[in-house]
Amino acid sequence: MTEYFGTTVADIFATMPKRFKPEEAKEVDIAIGYEATGEGGGKWKATIKHGTLKVETVEGELTDCKTTIHTDAETFVGVTLGMIGALDALSSQKLRVAGDPKFLMLLLPKIFTPYVAPAKKPDAVTARDIIATLAERFRPEKAEGVAMTIGYDLAGEGGGRWTIIIRDGKCAVREGLADPLTVKMTMEAKTYAGMMVGTIEAVTAFTSGQVKIEGDMAAAGATAKYFRKYVVPGATEAEELISLRVTNSIEQRFATGPVMGRWFAGIREKKFLANRCPKCGRTQIPPREICAWCRVRVHEFVEVGPKGVVTHFDIVYFASPDPLTGAVRDTPYATVYVVLDGATEREAITVDLKKEDIPRLKEGARVRPVWAEVTTGSYRDLIGVELDEEEGSL
Amino acid sequence: MTMQEDHKDCFVLEGKMALPNQNFAGRLGSRFLIAIRDRKKIMGLKCNPCGKTFVPPREYCEKCWTKIADNWVELGTEGELVNFTVVRYGDRHLPKKPPYILGQIRLDGADTPLTHIVEGIDPRDVESGIRVKAVFAEKTTNTIMDIDHFEPV
Repeated sequence: MTEYFGTTVADIFATMPKRFKPEEAKEVDIAIGYEATGEGGGKWKATIKHGTLKVETVEGELTDCKTTIHTDAETFVGVTLGMIGALDALSSQKLRVAGDPKFLMLLLPKIFTPYVAPAKKPDAVTARDIIATLAERFRPEKAEGVAMTIGYDLAGEGGGRWTIIIRDGKCAVREGLADPLTVKMTMEAKTYAGMMVGTIEAVTAFTSGQVKIEGDMAAAGATAKYFRKYVVPGATEAEELISLRVTNSIEQRFATGPVMGRWFAGIREKKFLANRCPKCGRTQIPPREICAWCRVRVHEFVEVGPKGVVTHFDIVYFASPDPLTGAVRDTPYATVYVVLDGATEREAITVDLKKEDIPRLKEGARVRPVWAEVTTGSYRDLIGVELDEEEGSL
Repeated sequence: MTMQEDHKDCFVLEGKMALPNQNFAGRLGSRFLIAIRDRKKIMGLKCNPCGKTFVPPREYCEKCWTKIADNWVELGTEGELVNFTVVRYGDRHLPKKPPYILGQIRLDGADTPLTHIVEGIDPRDVESGIRVKAVFAEKTTNTIMDIDHFEPV
C-alpha cells in the first residue's frame, strides 16, 4: 500500500469507526462517497445514520451518495492530516466535491476525532518524509535577511535530490539540485534521516566522513536553526534525558614508503604488483623490502593476477556494530581469500565478494577484481572481487 | 652499501577516524541537571528513614538501601565549604586555568558535599568553614558547569 506523509488512505478509512462520535451524529443521515485516485487509492462509502456508521469499500460506481469527494490519494491523505489545506486543494481543483463542500467541512470535524498517522519507529522514517515537512517547519523569524540555497544529494532508499531555497523570510523546497548552491550536502538518505530523528549524531557523521559538505561550511552549520526540530509522527514526547556527546576526529596519514608504494602505484593502474624473494621465490603481497623468512633484500617486482582463485572464505550473517559509529554492515557479506594467478600460495589477499555472488560461492572458484570508477592509489581502489564465471569455475 | 631509493612510488594515504564518546547522565542525573539549567535550583534526594539528604542524586540510600529516587527536596544555593584542594597544573581537559580551588560544598539542607570550583577568593586565603554561594552559568551546556562556580557570600 503506497504511503503518503507516513500513512495510507486505507488506514484512514480503517480507523474511521474508532474515530466516530455517535453522540454527535444522532441527527445526521448522510452517505458520503470517496474516490481517491492513483496508487494506494480506491473507492469508499461511509453511511452515517442516526448515530451509526458503516464504512465499505466500493468496486465500480459510487451510488446513493448524497455527496462525493474526488481527489488523488496523496491530496486525500495530506488534507486529512492537515498537511495540505482543504481550501487550497479545493481551489486548485485537486479536490472536488459533488455536493456541498461547506456542509462537509463543518460536519466531519464534529462527528470524527481527527485522524492521527500511526506511530512510526524512528528508523522507518525516510529522508523523503522529512524533506516533505521542511517548509512547514521553517521559522521565518530566525531566517531574517538570510538568502541561501541548500542542496541535498541523498543516496539510497527514500533519498533523492532536493534544493531548499531560503529567501525573504520564505522557504521553498524543490526537487533536483539548483545551480549555484550556497552549500551542497551529500550523504546516504538513511544517514540524513538518522540525523533528523536523532539516532545519528551530526558531528559524528561529518567527522567520520559519512557527510560530504561542499561550499559554505558555516552555512551548513547554521541551517538547523532555521527549522523547528523534526518530530517523528505519532511519537510521544519523552522525558528529557541528558546525554553528552563529544566526538574527537583523528586525522591519519600513512606513508607507504617506496616498496609498498609500488603496490599502490600498481593498484592505481589496476595491476597487482608483488615482489619476489630471490631466495625462496615467494611473491610478497603487499611487497616488503626484505623477505622475513630468508632475511634478504627483495628487488624484483612481478605482476600477479588480476584474476585469482578462492582458497577459503567467511560468510557473515550477523555483523557486529562498528564500535565507533554503531553502524551495522549489510548482511550477509562474504570475505574471501584469493590467491592471485602467479602468486605463491600463502600470499592470499583478503577482499569482499560481490553480494550477488555469495549464493554461488565455492572454494576454488575463479574470481576477478572489481575496481572503483576512479582509482587514486588507495586501498579503496579495489572494491572487491566477483565470480569469473565466463571462464567456468568449479 | 648505499641504498638506491626511488621515491616516485611513495604514497601518503590520508584517513580520518571519528571517536564518538557518549556519557549518559542517567534519569536522576538528567533531572538534577535540568533543575540547575532551567530553574537555577539545586535538588537533592532525601532518605526519610535515615533523614539523610544526598547530592548529587542517587537512587538508593547508601545506609538503609531505601529507594529514594522520587523523594526530591530542594536545597539551598548556599552552603559551607567543608574541604578543598588547589589545582595548580593546567591541562586541556580541565575546566579552568590554574591555579583554582576545587572545593567540597555542603549545601544548606544536604548531608553530602558537592564538588565544585570556588572562585572570588585567593587560593592562599581560602579555608574550610567559609560560606559560599552558587553562581549559575549564563550559557548552559547540560553539564554540572551550568553552575559556573561558587563564591564566598
